[in-house]
Amino acid sequence: MTEVFNPETVEEAVALLAQHGEAMPLSGGATLIAMRNAALVEPSHLISLDRIPDLRGISRDDGGGIRIGAMTRHFETAACVELTGSLQVLRRAAGMIANRVVRNMGTMGGSVANADPAADYLPALSCCDAVLEIAGPDGRRTLSIHDYIEDWYETALEEGEIITAITLPAPVEVSSTYRKIARVSGDYATASCAMALDPDGQGLRVAIGACGPGPLRDRAGEKALRGKLDDPSAVSEFTSRLVALADPVDDVRGSAEYRLRLIPRLVTSVLSELTTQKEMA
Amino acid sequence: MMAKKVLHSLTLNGEEVEVASVAGATLLETLREDLRVLSSKRGCNQGVCGACTVLLDGKPVRACLTLTARCEGHAVQTMEGMNGDHVMATLQRHMVESGGVQCGFCTGGVLISARELLESDPSPSRETVKTALSGNICRCTGYRTIVDAVCGAAEELSQ
Amino acid sequence: MKIEGDFEVEAPRAEVWDKIRDPQVMGACIPGCESVEQVDETSYRAQVSVKVGPIKARFNLLVEVLDEQPEHTILSRTSGEEGTRASVVNSDNVVRLTDTDSGGTHVDYAADVSVTGRLGKFGLGIFRKKADQLAGQFVENFRAKLGVTA
Repeated sequence: MTEVFNPETVEEAVALLAQHGEAMPLSGGATLIAMRNAALVEPSHLISLDRIPDLRGISRDDGGGIRIGAMTRHFETAACVELTGSLQVLRRAAGMIANRVVRNMGTMGGSVANADPAADYLPALSCCDAVLEIAGPDGRRTLSIHDYIEDWYETALEEGEIITAITLPAPVEVSSTYRKIARVSGDYATASCAMALDPDGQGLRVAIGACGPGPLRDRAGEKALRGKLDDPSAVSEFTSRLVALADPVDDVRGSAEYRLRLIPRLVTSVLSELTTQKEMA
Repeated sequence: MMAKKVLHSLTLNGEEVEVASVAGATLLETLREDLRVLSSKRGCNQGVCGACTVLLDGKPVRACLTLTARCEGHAVQTMEGMNGDHVMATLQRHMVESGGVQCGFCTGGVLISARELLESDPSPSRETVKTALSGNICRCTGYRTIVDAVCGAAEELSQ
Repeated sequence: MKIEGDFEVEAPRAEVWDKIRDPQVMGACIPGCESVEQVDETSYRAQVSVKVGPIKARFNLLVEVLDEQPEHTILSRTSGEEGTRASVVNSDNVVRLTDTDSGGTHVDYAADVSVTGRLGKFGLGIFRKKADQLAGQFVENFRAKLGVTA
């Protein structure tokens, strides 16, 4: 038995979470209710974020940056025409989560908060240099996506905090995409790759999913690769660095060794897709 | 101790209903146990198999992952409420004709997912149909006859 | 699931052995260990909590020392359950101590662990990562108890 609350403001939700020790925030339910049904979590109270208007919708700020409310569902993100160019990667990732029915339910905030290493948003958000807006008992704060994952399923979210929005820098006119290797359509990733080219086409940003506790990014390696995207040995050196940084699990979706082998193949094939797109454009 | 019950009001298949469910109940529990509406099936209870799929405000969702409290004031539609729906009737006829129904446990969920697909894409390719139904597990048919039925219905409806 | 690892401490083997055989020291070093009590010469009861993301579990464990060769090797078996909940954990463990060239001690450990019940539904891949993480914390705590840094 779980008591459910339906607050209508962020402040009310945060107060309810603070008031009930074993309470958990509930967004789309696609993961949390499944875990509750399996008795993996047994919250005394669920604080549903479903009726809070502030958590909904995708908007643009004056500088062109995009703010995605935490309760935005995957189908809305997958259909959002504002997510172009460098942000296309996020739209693609949203469209590859699970299946149509689950995309009608699951939310970006919920997926990010759950921090499943094999889920699709985190690598895409890492590639976009996203920033999380967070509300908690001590007020509001923002946090870079790069400082968010601390360990396996452990994040920098403190007890009683909720994610209220994900903000993205204004899109620029470059190619970006998301690709995942999965056993079947809609499965969690065995390994995934989110990539965007730099505006001048000379460099890239890449985040690998499902190969460690959080998205794998090597910003120093990206810097070293700038200007050498057409040099196979430089690309190969870059992917070797990624492999060295990876720490994948062995599980039903693939062995750790297999995942390590996927990384260079994913990066080189996605890179060739993006550079071909650029030449055709 | 008796589990605490909570009163919910929602629209089910076009009718206002008030139902008392255990606090924190899922829509699937409320439908099957409290309202005795049985077309939504309990398969995995994990959101994976798709047998419990229903419409919430016109969009397919997993009843096993949706709390009844979330449906308060919203419209829920199950297979029981689809009798007058032309697209659904066409899909159902093709499912029967192509042999897409065997034990029938997955069928309601398959039909609801297929209907949503045809609303957004009236003439889907076989690949698109397979992807759209990837969240509906069938242990009998091997899927080919289900894909045949959806493609056949799409063709008939687009004429 | 097999969990294996090793570490070194800059302390003589006799001292490391004494600490490993002292339930209070071990209780203080095992991450999440809430209590330890000695049942008889070779068995102990312990309560240990673990947390993986939102999933929390508290196990009542019985640890039995099956065989020991003082200052070298301990074979033990851990079995436990999660109170009223249906998770059961069993583990066969081996710990071996050897001298290092620098007068310290090399510790090898291996455990064959099985988890069934509700937590068995959670992927074993993550259990392994969690086990590595807990082992790392244990080594840190253990070194602190011995008053050495590495």
